[in-house]
Amino acid sequence: MSAAAPATALAAGLANCHECGLLAQLRAAGHGARCPRCGAELHLRKPRSLERTWALVIAAAICYVPANVLPVMAVTSLGKTEADTIMSGVIYFLTSGDWPLAIIIFTASIFVPMMKLAILLFLLISVHRRSSWRPVDRTRMYRLTEAIGRWSMVDIYVVTIMVALVRLGNLATIEAGWGAVFFGAVVVITIFAAESFDPRLIWDESEARST
Amino acid sequence: MTEQGPGGAGRGGVAEAVVEQRGRISIVWLIPLVAVLVAGFVAWRAFSERGPAIRISFKSAEGLDAGKTLIKYKDVQVGLVETVTLMPDLSGVVAEARMVKDSDRWLTEKTTFWIVKPRIAGGQVSGLGTLLSGSYIGMDPVLDAKKAREFVGLEVPPIVTTSEPGRYFVLRSDRAGAVSVGSPVLFRQIQVGQVVSSELDPKDDFVTTRIFVHAPYDDRVRVDSRFWNASGIQASLGANGVKIDTGSLVSILIGGISFDSPHGEEAAVAAADAQFPLYENMQAAEERHYTNTVTWQLYFDQSVRGLAVGAPVEFRGIPIGEVTDVRIEFDRLSHRFRIPVRIEIEPGRFTSEEVTPEQRKQSVDALVAAGLRAQLKTGNLLTGQLIVALDIFPDAKPAQVVWTTPIPEFPTIPTPLEEVTANLTRIVDRLGKLPIEQIGEDLKGSLAALKVTLQKSQDVGPALKDTLEKANNALASANALIAPGSPTTAELQRALLSLSDAARSLGLAADQIQAQPNSLIFGKKGSN
Repeated sequence: MSAAAPATALAAGLANCHECGLLAQLRAAGHGARCPRCGAELHLRKPRSLERTWALVIAAAICYVPANVLPVMAVTSLGKTEADTIMSGVIYFLTSGDWPLAIIIFTASIFVPMMKLAILLFLLISVHRRSSWRPVDRTRMYRLTEAIGRWSMVDIYVVTIMVALVRLGNLATIEAGWGAVFFGAVVVITIFAAESFDPRLIWDESEARST
Repeated sequence: MTEQGPGGAGRGGVAEAVVEQRGRISIVWLIPLVAVLVAGFVAWRAFSERGPAIRISFKSAEGLDAGKTLIKYKDVQVGLVETVTLMPDLSGVVAEARMVKDSDRWLTEKTTFWIVKPRIAGGQVSGLGTLLSGSYIGMDPVLDAKKAREFVGLEVPPIVTTSEPGRYFVLRSDRAGAVSVGSPVLFRQIQVGQVVSSELDPKDDFVTTRIFVHAPYDDRVRVDSRFWNASGIQASLGANGVKIDTGSLVSILIGGISFDSPHGEEAAVAAADAQFPLYENMQAAEERHYTNTVTWQLYFDQSVRGLAVGAPVEFRGIPIGEVTDVRIEFDRLSHRFRIPVRIEIEPGRFTSEEVTPEQRKQSVDALVAAGLRAQLKTGNLLTGQLIVALDIFPDAKPAQVVWTTPIPEFPTIPTPLEEVTANLTRIVDRLGKLPIEQIGEDLKGSLAALKVTLQKSQDVGPALKDTLEKANNALASANALIAPGSPTTAELQRALLSLSDAARSLGLAADQIQAQPNSLIFGKKGSN
């Protein structure tokens, strides 16, 4: 495989400036490197990528528990208050016959965040274990994570819009619950986690093995 | 955390820049730390606000929603129903609820729960608010009792919660009347309480009615208070005329109980849970304070039309009892109908001393011997109602009380009108028996004889006249003889004068003799 090993920037010690795109040769001193053109910091890999990702994934996982246990939204209608968690909302729509809506909420609010966390965890562990298992698929998973991450915010938008719109005093009032805060935190933190993860790390191992 | 570029030597001998930062812990770890702190705080708060979990069983889960139905006390949320499950034997449902923090103290054996939903009962509409907000579970906490976690929910809300000041009383009656749970309890027609329950006594056939009288009116219930059923409209047509009693409009519709204390504040305040009899109406309550009654049986031979049960028994116009039964009996042996009238006399009305049966027997016997009798009298001319009147008839036929029968028999005498009728009948009977025809014949004969006699007497007439004339003459001459101035008279006068002189001389002589008895022999001295 060594013959087929492609030339990489890492191997060549070259780094692209993130801001102005200048390709620069990094000096031996690993850190403190700056772009000669725009002065931005240069690095071969995202610095502390794994550490950051780990921290964020753990934070997201912690927030995920109260996000699902606490009510997201409290609807007070004609004096009758109903506080719903995400799951109880899904069950409510499912039992009341609105199963397409239930599927949407389930996918956006439960399935996607969980999948994101799972994928990130898997990627982190696989990088740690220096696994060279199906790097293409793993990269694809990462891309998926990055792409759908923001869609989980749908729930938060719905809650915020509803809270702002439905202010009819005793007739109907909607209030955001603590669950929404934690859920928002989960979504945002996972987006950052995905961002801080450097997918090139997936390939480094297979590159290393191939050399 | 280590991130190393793979490999140690770069291409073309260029020294590689190894991206390597070790040592300091990245600031990014603050994020999971904050997440842990916030989530931990939320969890801690949720946990620290958790109160005890309780189980309440109900017959039906109507109005209960898991996770939604609240438990409220005085409209303050004190708990939330978390699950509603069927009992294993399907006899009811069990609601598991999470109470608020520090609610341990209220959760005692005596604490009650019930489902609050819209109700229209007892003249009151309650729980209207739940039409919009949905049902909730009401709670009546009792503080001082054994702690409990399992409760049996009430099917109907309690009329009176334990926090309300006042007192319970127990009324006993032989029927419930129109009184139902929630009926008002009235004092001088002001509502002071409510009927809490009305049920059959398990031991006997009496109806036990529990009432609650709110403070401060509970002090109005005295030991001698009398309760009566003030339900609906009571109309009675008795010997005293038509009488209609009504209470408030509410009590007309749903019944009610009134009470009054005849001696006011003189009597002691009744204790909580004291028992009282519940009278059928106000009249009964006013009359029936003589609990000691004596029953008598009266037999009347006349019609008792107009004599009703409840008619008064009076002694010289003062009620002393009432008729309790009027029947008819057929005596097979003598083939006679008899009408036994049972009366109840309340001795407490005319004597305050307690007497033994022996003493009573004695005094009744004495009274009957003196002529005490019962008779029927018309109490009301308009309606023809009869009453039983007792009075002393000194010249009544002798009679005695029959003590041997189960209910002693009191002697009766017929009604005055009846007596007159009977006497008249007797006279007419006798008249009928007179031999009028024979009397007529005899009379006719006698008259004929009389006529003959009279005719004969006509002949006597002239002779009689002659005789009379002669007699007249004789009388006239006699008259002339004794007339003043007549010679006879003059002579008589003279004779009388001489007689008078003679008498005087005789008197003188007598005096002389007395003074000088010897003068009879020697003659008068001094006259010589």
